[in-house]
Amino acid sequence: MKTTAADIMVTQFSTLLPQTPVIEAIEMFRESFNIQGRRLFGMIVSDEDRDLVGMLSMYDILLYLRPKHIHVWGAMEDLEIAGVIDAAGNRIKSIQVGDIMTSDVVTVTPGTNLMMVLDIMIKKHVRRLPVVEGQRVIGIVYISDLFNHLLERISG
Amino acid sequence: MAQINRKNTLRNLGVSEAMRRQVIQLDQVKSIDHGITVLIKYKINALLIVDSRGQSVGVVSKTDIMGAYYAGLPIESPLEHIMVTPPLFCYSGDSLEAALEQMRESGVYRLYVMDKGEGDIVGALAYPDIVGLLYQYCHQCEYSHLQGGTRSGQDDPVRRFTVREVMTASVKGIGLNETLNTVMETLSAYRFGAMLVTDAKGLPCGVISKTDLALSYRHGVDPEVEAGTVMSSPVSTCDVGLLLEEAIKKMTIADIHRLFVHKVNPDNIVGVLSLTDAARIRSGSCYACVSSRIKVNDHD
Repeated sequence: MKTTAADIMVTQFSTLLPQTPVIEAIEMFRESFNIQGRRLFGMIVSDEDRDLVGMLSMYDILLYLRPKHIHVWGAMEDLEIAGVIDAAGNRIKSIQVGDIMTSDVVTVTPGTNLMMVLDIMIKKHVRRLPVVEGQRVIGIVYISDLFNHLLERISG
Repeated sequence: MAQINRKNTLRNLGVSEAMRRQVIQLDQVKSIDHGITVLIKYKINALLIVDSRGQSVGVVSKTDIMGAYYAGLPIESPLEHIMVTPPLFCYSGDSLEAALEQMRESGVYRLYVMDKGEGDIVGALAYPDIVGLLYQYCHQCEYSHLQGGTRSGQDDPVRRFTVREVMTASVKGIGLNETLNTVMETLSAYRFGAMLVTDAKGLPCGVISKTDLALSYRHGVDPEVEAGTVMSSPVSTCDVGLLLEEAIKKMTIADIHRLFVHKVNPDNIVGVLSLTDAARIRSGSCYACVSSRIKVNDHD
């Protein structure tokens, strides 16, 4: 019976370096389905020693793309959205993964039991948790895998 | 004797109507490196610095970060080494006029907003937020150029502000081959927010802002590299005769703080218009807005 993070974590995953341009990271997000068969919405950021330094999620990228003065946009009905997106795309060219990643990342260890993993994901609103030994990342637990595992147990 | 007391659009508005409610605070022991990532991520110009008890003790702006880069401070240095103290406050119940006056007198670009009852920090007030308020005000006005369709020039009965009347007319360019250190020295000497970069023919080819410099600091770029290697291009410009409303809209949509102003052709830069300039006129974007609020007081 699967009872710990190690039992359901995936061990094959792509990582980003903090100095990777965000433009390249976006390309990796887009290609993830072809490589891993899973559409990624967050990636581990680690240093050359594979030690965890952060996580770059879809939310981090969207936060950066969101216009700063969006609160006054309600008054503008005649926006040219294409131009807005182009401007955001131009701005992101000089940004590296380390500039916008989340560095305060919640982690679990291989021995963390599944109900603790479930509890952390619910309380922290996270969909993926790095599994670490010390600082080194050895796997990722996805909420979808946890959900599917629990469904199988319950219905089986 | 009649005394003409010119009023402006912001009269009778309170700080709480214009302030931004999200205030980003960082502990004073956090590194400059971490501070830069927060500034970049949340697209803000300054951080409120707090001590271990959560008390506000200072402010770190992009200007302070540029100073640290120029001084060669290790990027892992704590924010407390470069923060400016004390932070300046206004109250949420203050009038916007009073708060703007306080900003002008103190020579600062933002005030943190305190709740009078509990003393909690409830917001931040900066010039771009005031522009946002003015824009909304303008947009809802029956005289608005944006409400009234495309009438302009001879057909438009309303006199409107153009970029020419609000821009800062002095612009100093720097050559592509000058170093980042020279850029920082010039920005500091002239108190500019950004530097126009020009090519060998003196034509504008890029801009270096304090955000670009903060990123260069974080990316470990040697401050002796040439300006051309880190500048942003192309230069965002507008014509000197553009209506102020349109210029504000352009900056808001493109998420930029300033437009360089050209005359006749985009290579002939004659000024710069920032959101701060737009906020300082403290009115909407047409003369009607100002004149309708002129109050004539009769005295003996």
